[in-house]
Amino acid sequence: MRKYLLLLVLFSVCHLTAYSQQKTVIGRDIGQLKDIKIGGRLTDQITGEALVGATVTVRELNKTEVTNTNGSFNLVLDRAEYVLEIRYVGYETIIYPFVAVGDGRITLTMIQEDFDLDDVVVFGSDPEKNIRSTEMGAVSINMNTLKELPPFLGEVDIIRSIATLPGVSQAGEASSGLNVRGGGADQNLILFAGAPVYNPSHLFGLFTAFNPDMVNEFTLYKAIIPTKFGGRGSSILDITPRSGSLDRWGGDFMVGTVSGKASLNGPIIKNHLSAKVGFRGSYINWLLNSLNNPDLRSSNANFNDMNGILYGEINENHNVTYSFYRSYDDFALASDTTISWTNMSHTLRYQGKFGERTNVDVIGFYTEYDFSIFNKSGINNFDLQSGIQDLGLRLNFTYNLGERNKISFGADSKKITIRPGDLIPLPSDGESSVLPQSVQNEFGRESGVYAQHELEFGEKFGISYGLRYDFYQYFGPRTVREYAPNLPISNGTVIGERTYGDGELIQSYDGLGPRASFRYSFDSKTSIKGGYNRMYQFIHLISNTATIAPTDVWKLSDQFFKPQIVDQLSLGVYKNFKGNIFETSVEVYYKDIQNVIDYKDGARLLLQNNLETEIIPGQGKAYGAEFYVKKNLGRTTGWASYTYSRTFRRVITPFEEEIVNDGEWYPANFDKPHDLTLIGNYKLATNASFSATFSYSTGRPVSFPEAKFDFAGNSLAYFPNRNLQRLPDFHRLDISFNFKLKGKGLFYQGDWTFAIMNVYGRKNPYSIFFADQPGSPPQPYRLAILGVPLPTLSYSVKF
Amino acid sequence: MLKRSLYILLLFTLSCIDPYKVEIPEGEQLLTVEGFITNEPGPHLIRLTRSDTYGSVFEGLIRPVTEAKVALRDSEGNVTFLSEEVERGSYFTPAGFQVQVGRSYILQIELQNGKTYSSLPEIANSVPQIDSLSYESVRTFTSDRLNDKVGTQIYAYFKDPSDQTNFYYWRSGPGDYVLVANPELYTLPPTHPTNPRGPAPKDCCDICFAKENSRIQSFAIAADESFNGLSQKIPVAYIQDDGLRFKRTYRTEILQMAVSREAYRFLRLVQQQINITGSVFDQPPANIRGNIIGLTDPDEVVLGYFIVASVSRMPLYIENSRLSESVTPRIIPDDCLTVPGTTLDPPSYWNPPRD
Repeated sequence: MRKYLLLLVLFSVCHLTAYSQQKTVIGRDIGQLKDIKIGGRLTDQITGEALVGATVTVRELNKTEVTNTNGSFNLVLDRAEYVLEIRYVGYETIIYPFVAVGDGRITLTMIQEDFDLDDVVVFGSDPEKNIRSTEMGAVSINMNTLKELPPFLGEVDIIRSIATLPGVSQAGEASSGLNVRGGGADQNLILFAGAPVYNPSHLFGLFTAFNPDMVNEFTLYKAIIPTKFGGRGSSILDITPRSGSLDRWGGDFMVGTVSGKASLNGPIIKNHLSAKVGFRGSYINWLLNSLNNPDLRSSNANFNDMNGILYGEINENHNVTYSFYRSYDDFALASDTTISWTNMSHTLRYQGKFGERTNVDVIGFYTEYDFSIFNKSGINNFDLQSGIQDLGLRLNFTYNLGERNKISFGADSKKITIRPGDLIPLPSDGESSVLPQSVQNEFGRESGVYAQHELEFGEKFGISYGLRYDFYQYFGPRTVREYAPNLPISNGTVIGERTYGDGELIQSYDGLGPRASFRYSFDSKTSIKGGYNRMYQFIHLISNTATIAPTDVWKLSDQFFKPQIVDQLSLGVYKNFKGNIFETSVEVYYKDIQNVIDYKDGARLLLQNNLETEIIPGQGKAYGAEFYVKKNLGRTTGWASYTYSRTFRRVITPFEEEIVNDGEWYPANFDKPHDLTLIGNYKLATNASFSATFSYSTGRPVSFPEAKFDFAGNSLAYFPNRNLQRLPDFHRLDISFNFKLKGKGLFYQGDWTFAIMNVYGRKNPYSIFFADQPGSPPQPYRLAILGVPLPTLSYSVKF
Repeated sequence: MLKRSLYILLLFTLSCIDPYKVEIPEGEQLLTVEGFITNEPGPHLIRLTRSDTYGSVFEGLIRPVTEAKVALRDSEGNVTFLSEEVERGSYFTPAGFQVQVGRSYILQIELQNGKTYSSLPEIANSVPQIDSLSYESVRTFTSDRLNDKVGTQIYAYFKDPSDQTNFYYWRSGPGDYVLVANPELYTLPPTHPTNPRGPAPKDCCDICFAKENSRIQSFAIAADESFNGLSQKIPVAYIQDDGLRFKRTYRTEILQMAVSREAYRFLRLVQQQINITGSVFDQPPANIRGNIIGLTDPDEVVLGYFIVASVSRMPLYIENSRLSESVTPRIIPDDCLTVPGTTLDPPSYWNPPRD
């Protein structure tokens, strides 16, 4: 009886809303009955920014559209009365009843919700997207969602948030690289506004080098990667910047414990051209100087990043975006050596719509990554400079053959120039005592053509299949060594050299990468999906640390470094419960990686003209199962993800001296079988929330010595095998409390965030190492990067 | 220098390092060879030991390997036998034995159990002379703010020959120093029947000579890839100030040695391991392979390296008056001869420059 009563109440409420609003009539009535085209655009009521990725549902037809990068959507309807339901994460839902009588436009504004207690939606997109889409292993996160997570050192962090998703992990507490489904840190292509970013970190991974305020949303593809992407083995992280308001000027600033930022955006030409600029900088030196670590106390660190975005709307069907991005870091190690790096990119993008069916997307980009080690110790001063430049173009066409039948095709090409290292002597005490050295530059071109077809057969069954052809060329000028056949490649087995001229082809590789996936829905709440994927990778990160380190070297494929080929099979079951409040999934995968690289003991990578002498060829495999439960709605939201995964490496060589672990499979540096993340967000009141993240994982593999021996009075450790032992398990709890100041109207909103990382102060070992130090006997030591609870406070204002 | 700066530890935020107990597999008892022969007159020392578990403080005792037959064979076919001396596991060449530059040498070992071993041939390369040495005080921060580490950095000056590839290995010889005590501050022991802790100044002695006996010997290495043919100033040794050593005069000797490319590689791996800090940028531990192979059982692993080198040696006297920094001096309120191992007379080679 109670139930009925409740239903009745609900029903009447709906009724009330429906009748309380005036129905708008859209279009000029010329008696049109069918194919009425209605375009619309969604913007933020206060800032005027376009709302990208909001869902527009026509209730009567149960049909959902998602707004595009300029906040627009398109509907084709019959002449009738409709009710639109518009949802966007962090905003109040709009119910918009209207009557469609002819072609027309709807312009709607949405208001940001102030922690509305009952209707918090975590992921903005279509609530049933996970069930209905053929896409698999792709996760899109909107920045508004991210802001609900506990911040890291006062700020939300993109890379760190991605690492909470199933199948994604990081090597340790201060490492920037992501390991996606058993892939190395170099197997992820990180695109900012379409341009590749080589080092997405500030302070060696303590922060992500992207200002979250300048980002609209990001998507991580880890299973079935659309054919328009190629060039990396494991995943694509596609980050779209946020463009400014076409309507009015606004901005925000934030002051945190270690960094601060500000941004400004608004129309240059109202409704046609907008600009957005943002800057973020650190003032971390006081923190470093207050630390007990002796080397840090004498160190200095700086980082900053800036963005500029110009968005021009020619008309509703054509727009052009220019994006500039630059991040800078320097770190002075114990005062006399400074390491610095810069990422810089320019992107120009045109998006156009021709007729009702064709979409064109053109991206041109130039990106540069520069890295330098500058020594001014007074003895043998030098500057070691290296860098990478990418210049490329991407074309993509999408053609809608029908309602649920879409093809896309296109091509891309980029030229890569790597400057592996130039050592420039600097004057020391009088004359210079270092010789200039230069490692040969590398030139390559990566190209691809592709096509993809997405097709749905009714509600239940859908497929997506495509093919990408990757073509890679490696050019001169370059002098290449020849080695004696049937002998290990080393400095001792060189038999000759060959010099290639400017632009002369040295080596080329090509390959077909098929991608296919299917989806079968048992009902609107349950589906099963599966797919196969092949990726090629022609650039390698030559690093022998477990993370992305400043001393890493990027290397293009040549005759010694064959392209990495990654094959992945995945299968998943998806089910939503309680009216999409709970979203669950189970995914399993198996991955085979060819031509991975492992290192010879004590490999020397910097200023190395012949990297092939320092590496040993290998192969990899990875498999795992990922479990995911997410609560999307209500006072408590959040997710739990658990991954069981293994990732192995094996060295294949006919030469005894290069064999690692007797030629058996051994765990990769980042193999962590159990990985659990729990994230929860609880609304305490309309203007306050509490969130917590707990993570647990198996300790990563390490090598323990099998014996101790003496040399020159030092006790040394003997490590015959790699990665056979493990660090102790990792677990950590982070909490944050978010409080919003109300008042002074809508134009002033202060946001306080107080957070504590590592609440119970666990000393999670980053590493265990064996050392013989003066004053104590040779013994194992533990390094904990974050050994104590770390509180932070930040304050931000939007105007 | 380049490599050195890259090895410098890089830790951030509130990181901490502490001794940690882990389960270590029981260690293998592998034959370990350590030692080098040079172009200076002998005797030269080769030490044979067995490795053991690398565990906590009390685990793993490295034992000497005794009663082995050890011999050197050079490329001319000359054989020199080494004899085991009082210290077990230590084998010495005859006093007259000297390495000849240009020849290569093999170390041959036969153990009591009949197993035989040999080194790979090591060639003796010539070494440029040390032109001069200099030193300066350096202060390094430690985790204890009030007690920064202070020490003396020693630099070697030399001209690298341009017509050859050189691999350098520096070690410092045994140190001697003037031990300054304050016998006039002597007090009676607290157990004294009539005047416990009462002042009882002694007349002698305030100046003695002491010998260093620290276990860990530091070393430095360099390859001339980045400075072939140029004049160099390279930091070759560092001696920490313990409050006693640098109170007046400290004498050490710097040995500049030329070693083979393979020996350099071995030393580089050793140095890499010594400098490990557990940080994000450490290379994973490397398997340090030596140059000794088992002849009886080719699969047997032998640790350590047999180094052949030519040497340029130069003494250095470090005067307290020329050091810009020092730690709080340690006071010995007694006769300096009560410190074990001290003498009143300087060692025979004690000859500080007068200026």
